Amino acid sequence: MANIDKVAVIGAGTMGAGIAAQVANAGIPVLLLDIVPADATNRNAIAEGALERLKKADPAAFMSRDAARLVTPGNIEDHLAALAECDWIVEAVIERLDIKQSLYAKIEAARKPGSVVSSNTSTIPLSALIGGLPTTFASDFCITHFFNPPRYMRLLELVGGPATRPEALEAVRHFADHRLGKSVVEAKDRPGFIANRLGVYWLQAAVIEAVEMGLDIEDVDAIVGRPMGIPKTGVFGLLDLVGLDLMPHVNASLAAALPAEDPFHALNRPVPLVDKLIAEGYTGRKGKGGFYRVNREAGKRKEAVDLVTGAFRPARKADVEAIAAAGRSLTALLDHDSPHGRYAWRVLGRTLAYAAFLLGDAADEVEAIDEAMRLGYNWKQGPFQLIDKVGVDWLVSRLEREGWAVPPALRLAAGRTFHRIEAGRRQVLGLDGAYHDLVRPEGVVLLDDLKLNRQPVLKNGSAALWDIGDGVACFEFTSKMNSIDSEIMDLLGKSIRRVKKDFKALVIYNEGSNFSAGANLGLALFAANIAAWTEIEQMVTAGQQTYRALKYAPFPVVGAPSGMALGGGCEILLHCDAVQAHAETYVGLVEVGVGLVPGWGGCKEMLSRWSSLGNLPKGPMPAVGKVFETVAVATVAKSAAEAKELLFLRPSDGVTMNRARLLADAKAKALSLVEGYVPPAPPVLTLPGPSGKVALDLAIGSLRRQGKATPHDEVVSGALAEVLTGGDTDVTTPLDEEQVLELERSRFMRLVRHPGTLARIETMLLTGKPLRN
Amino acid sequence: MASYTAPLRDMRYVLFDLMEGDGLASLPGFEDFTRDLIDPVLDEAAKICEQVLHPINRSGDEEGCAFENGVVRTPKGFREAYTLFREGGWTSISCDPAHGGQGWPKSVGILIEEMICSANLSFGMYPGLSHGAYVALHAHGSDELKDTYLPKLVDGTWSGTMCLTEPHCGTDLGLLRTKAIPEGDGSYKITGTKIFISAGEHDLTENIIHLVLARLPDAPKGVKGISLFLVPKYRLKEDGTPGASNGVSCGSIEHKMGIKASSTCVMNFDDSIGWLVGEPNKGMRAMFAMMNTERLSVGVQGLGLAEASYQGAVTYARERLQGRALTGVKHPDKPADPIIVHPDVRRMLLTHRAYVEGSRALAAWVGRAIDHEEHHPDPAVRAEAEEFVALMTPVVKALLTDLGFEATNLGMQVFGGHGFIREHGMEQYVRDCRIAQIYEGTNGIQALDLVGRKLPAHAGRNLRRFFHPVSAFIEAKVEDEQLGEFVQPLAKAFVRLQQATAQVARAGMANPDEAGAAATDYLRLLGLTALGYLWAKMAEISLAKLNDDPDGFHRAKVATARFYVERVLPQTNALFAMVMAGGKSMMDFDEAAF
Repeated sequence: MANIDKVAVIGAGTMGAGIAAQVANAGIPVLLLDIVPADATNRNAIAEGALERLKKADPAAFMSRDAARLVTPGNIEDHLAALAECDWIVEAVIERLDIKQSLYAKIEAARKPGSVVSSNTSTIPLSALIGGLPTTFASDFCITHFFNPPRYMRLLELVGGPATRPEALEAVRHFADHRLGKSVVEAKDRPGFIANRLGVYWLQAAVIEAVEMGLDIEDVDAIVGRPMGIPKTGVFGLLDLVGLDLMPHVNASLAAALPAEDPFHALNRPVPLVDKLIAEGYTGRKGKGGFYRVNREAGKRKEAVDLVTGAFRPARKADVEAIAAAGRSLTALLDHDSPHGRYAWRVLGRTLAYAAFLLGDAADEVEAIDEAMRLGYNWKQGPFQLIDKVGVDWLVSRLEREGWAVPPALRLAAGRTFHRIEAGRRQVLGLDGAYHDLVRPEGVVLLDDLKLNRQPVLKNGSAALWDIGDGVACFEFTSKMNSIDSEIMDLLGKSIRRVKKDFKALVIYNEGSNFSAGANLGLALFAANIAAWTEIEQMVTAGQQTYRALKYAPFPVVGAPSGMALGGGCEILLHCDAVQAHAETYVGLVEVGVGLVPGWGGCKEMLSRWSSLGNLPKGPMPAVGKVFETVAVATVAKSAAEAKELLFLRPSDGVTMNRARLLADAKAKALSLVEGYVPPAPPVLTLPGPSGKVALDLAIGSLRRQGKATPHDEVVSGALAEVLTGGDTDVTTPLDEEQVLELERSRFMRLVRHPGTLARIETMLLTGKPLRN
Repeated sequence: MASYTAPLRDMRYVLFDLMEGDGLASLPGFEDFTRDLIDPVLDEAAKICEQVLHPINRSGDEEGCAFENGVVRTPKGFREAYTLFREGGWTSISCDPAHGGQGWPKSVGILIEEMICSANLSFGMYPGLSHGAYVALHAHGSDELKDTYLPKLVDGTWSGTMCLTEPHCGTDLGLLRTKAIPEGDGSYKITGTKIFISAGEHDLTENIIHLVLARLPDAPKGVKGISLFLVPKYRLKEDGTPGASNGVSCGSIEHKMGIKASSTCVMNFDDSIGWLVGEPNKGMRAMFAMMNTERLSVGVQGLGLAEASYQGAVTYARERLQGRALTGVKHPDKPADPIIVHPDVRRMLLTHRAYVEGSRALAAWVGRAIDHEEHHPDPAVRAEAEEFVALMTPVVKALLTDLGFEATNLGMQVFGGHGFIREHGMEQYVRDCRIAQIYEGTNGIQALDLVGRKLPAHAGRNLRRFFHPVSAFIEAKVEDEQLGEFVQPLAKAFVRLQQATAQVARAGMANPDEAGAAATDYLRLLGLTALGYLWAKMAEISLAKLNDDPDGFHRAKVATARFYVERVLPQTNALFAMVMAGGKSMMDFDEAAF
């Protein structure tokens, strides 16, 4: 299979630029080309402008500054020749067939044989795109449909045509999976492919029904949100986010492409209210608001549009009795005898039926449709999982009762489910009416799958230890939000003893959306509120001892984080022999945000890292300064790459682009360390003592005078400075680990009693935002 | 015949020594309230309570209120006593000077309230309810309503009521049905029936101002659809004096176990004209302004009755000669020893005393916090005081009335058979005290308020206002040689309280029934620990004054503190065990088997 070592993206709009950034994030050089603007002095202005916007994008498009340097901007008039060096050329220009095709002709002339060309089109069929082009082009061409923003949305829909070379398709699939971290779903060459075909239908159903029933949008978003496992933005919040103005275009192009018998046409009625909002500039959050707006004249009041009158009114909390009455039962919600209940049915019942209708049309696999909706629309469960939840037979009988068409796929599944677990394996119903094992791509191992056919080695209310084969154990956090509590510490201690006895290596990994955002603050605050100082100190000590035992355990330990690894969740990684991080890992010691200092060895480990790996000038102060400037402002690395720059990860730590490959990669890393494993030698830290503290105090004082630090920042930074400079020590008296841990502990305990700290913890818990006191 | 002497020595100790009452005058708005001013007012309050109110306490109980043709007559002497009370300015003590009040600190007001409750709780109900109405109106009424009604409520010419309960709804006010129809001119027509209305009808004042909870026509269901209205018994004439009757009538009065001289009325409102107090559908909020101060006042009722009962019991125990001391004759000159020589009588008297003085200290602590909440210049201190008061309000209400009932029972027990007969007045204290555990939210409701609302509020911040000062005191004093005997038992109780608090929070979050099952025991555990803290503090203060203690007051204080930590505080052991045991044994019990 051909390697992809250099890529070109043509079209530097939001999608093209974002795709280029993600290619760069994978460490691959990428050419970003766009047209030459009329009368331009700078012929690369468009692509260069796009690159500048990428650098400033929020959330960030690039994972590191190094990645940004891999993008070379250019234009399609002067730099087409460079396409000859590229293994993959992605077209992401305006959705006009004539423009795309004339570009393809130029590409075909410039590219090297065997290179792959793909389009990021979301609406034009592949068959149309290759029309009139040479067969050499058609055999190297496919559609790669990314979702916005390309760095963060994990779905890639891949569409090949009858002429597409299997090797070309495989090269793109492999690259997208391993290097871009995408979950690749194969779609047929049908309008809207999978996610948008169903997603647009769902949105249109939700909007048209809400408007015609005259419901309040807050209630609608509450119904078409959590109860259905859909992000709480619901539909109107989501449309505000993506832009209302897209809706008529997308609907029109989908309608034009779909055959007359497609159920979408029945729903695709004009919505005058949406047209009116767009005309008035209410295009969503990018405009002056959408269905929701913030009324600045009324004191930043949040307002919602009334679907009946079209006027804005103060937003209110959703009040849906049907949700409360239904509890956790989705069918009870769909059956609830109220306008809200009927609405829930009319939207979800339709959407699930349409999903079943798409099976065999947009995709042949149930899992492809489920995965597309999970990753493309952030649904917690795919439509077929939802069908299983309400029951195929329930859905069929309700559809019949309503006189709606029952798609053949539902007849096929009568009396059964689309997904099932058989002998510890996941199986999915195929179009042939038989169940087939769900096959994960080679190198994809999910703990969720493994759990189906084994019992935990150890388990308590907050964590579990699993045997993941080949002598490797996996420690999993299972607490709410994976917050770290005394039960986790307890089981980790037990796991260390168990792994020593029965395993070769340990991986610390879980499949939550965040590895761990740190210690359970609620418990800590409660303990502080009732002045349970002894218990708090015991928790600090227990954490220090357990993490230290992990570090010096006689077997290799590999941390495998994804998402946030903050505070105590970062400290556990700092005590691992190695880390295999998902590229989207956000690491930081953020304790100062809640008025504390890292107390589970975070200060100690960071000092030790910067002293040994930091490449710093001689003397104890540079490392102290580096750690201080990172921790005192609660710096969080925005990617695994950034975490390496900050030494939260070592240069030697591994990065996995595809979330689904993380466990397998971590396990391989752990096994690679087994042979001849020797636990690390305890560090001895030479710290500057009070003289160093004076220097840090000066820095804090100056920030305070500039108004960049608050009064309590000064208190917290002062305590942090005491720990990092080693307290009363001086350079002639090196400190061992226990002495630095004692400093962490005592300063932590001093801070946790401070009202300023308690106010910070409380605000964080109640509002999720830091308090700047 | 029981007598009553206001415990001014202990009141001054609690106010000035324990709660640093001299500092009151440093709070803005309280500049005048120096000790020179406070002392004589306490003396005067003692005088009217001892000489005017207490003498008609038992006669009022015997006679009760009379109801005839819709008219309620208070017992003999009440009208005259009320005139003296009003003319003495006692109705206006804690009211806003802007409306003719005297603006006294709560720290002092709470002591005067206690004296009134000791002397004659039934009498105290009339001005007490007026004050509740005053608080709600003051906090939420429009300026016009306030200007019209407050001066007369403050000077006691008119009285007030709170009309909440209806025949089918007490605790669950969401069910209430009384209607309010807007008249279009800013007034409303109120129609409905209210029951259990204290001071709903009587012959003490020219007019009665009812604050009535009712529903507007378009109101949402439940407690979110309740509004508060002011409905006078007589409509006011142009000149502001009472005129035509307003469709408000008393249907009957209740026949009760206690507080018989306080009228408890069924009130009928029939197209009575009323005015909205506060915002539409926000009646519960307006009502809670009143409810919180009323709950503290009800706690003080328990304290007041316990004090009166204690005085009777001590006198009797000294005078009553029966049998001989277990260890031999103590008074050979007398035919028998006074029963005060007996350990069990001493147990009762000291338990009684420790409850009373501890309760007084707790009421004073909360009273001072209210003064800080309302007058402290530092907003942070005000906020902290507010949180402390919020946390402790249900504790004061339930603990002080529970202890009050236990104490009055002990007082009656000291009297033996003579306590059971009416002549000595001891059984009246028991009967009068009983209602305090029930009204203004039963003590079970107080316990639910504590564990369900006050404990989780602001992620547990309220707790900090109690746990942190107690913890700091223990840390500072636990090694103290002299104080150790008081602080060490306190420290143990405190640890039990911490563990129980964590347990209630944890179990309650997973299963609200667990919080509910623990609530009453938890409240008492917290309350007795609070008293333990106050007793240790009082021991510290009095130990330092033993050298200058001519009347033996401080020696007795230290001795009572010792009794409390040794003989009362261990109750926390049992309470802890009960809380930790959880509620499964009661919730699993088959309902049909009850």
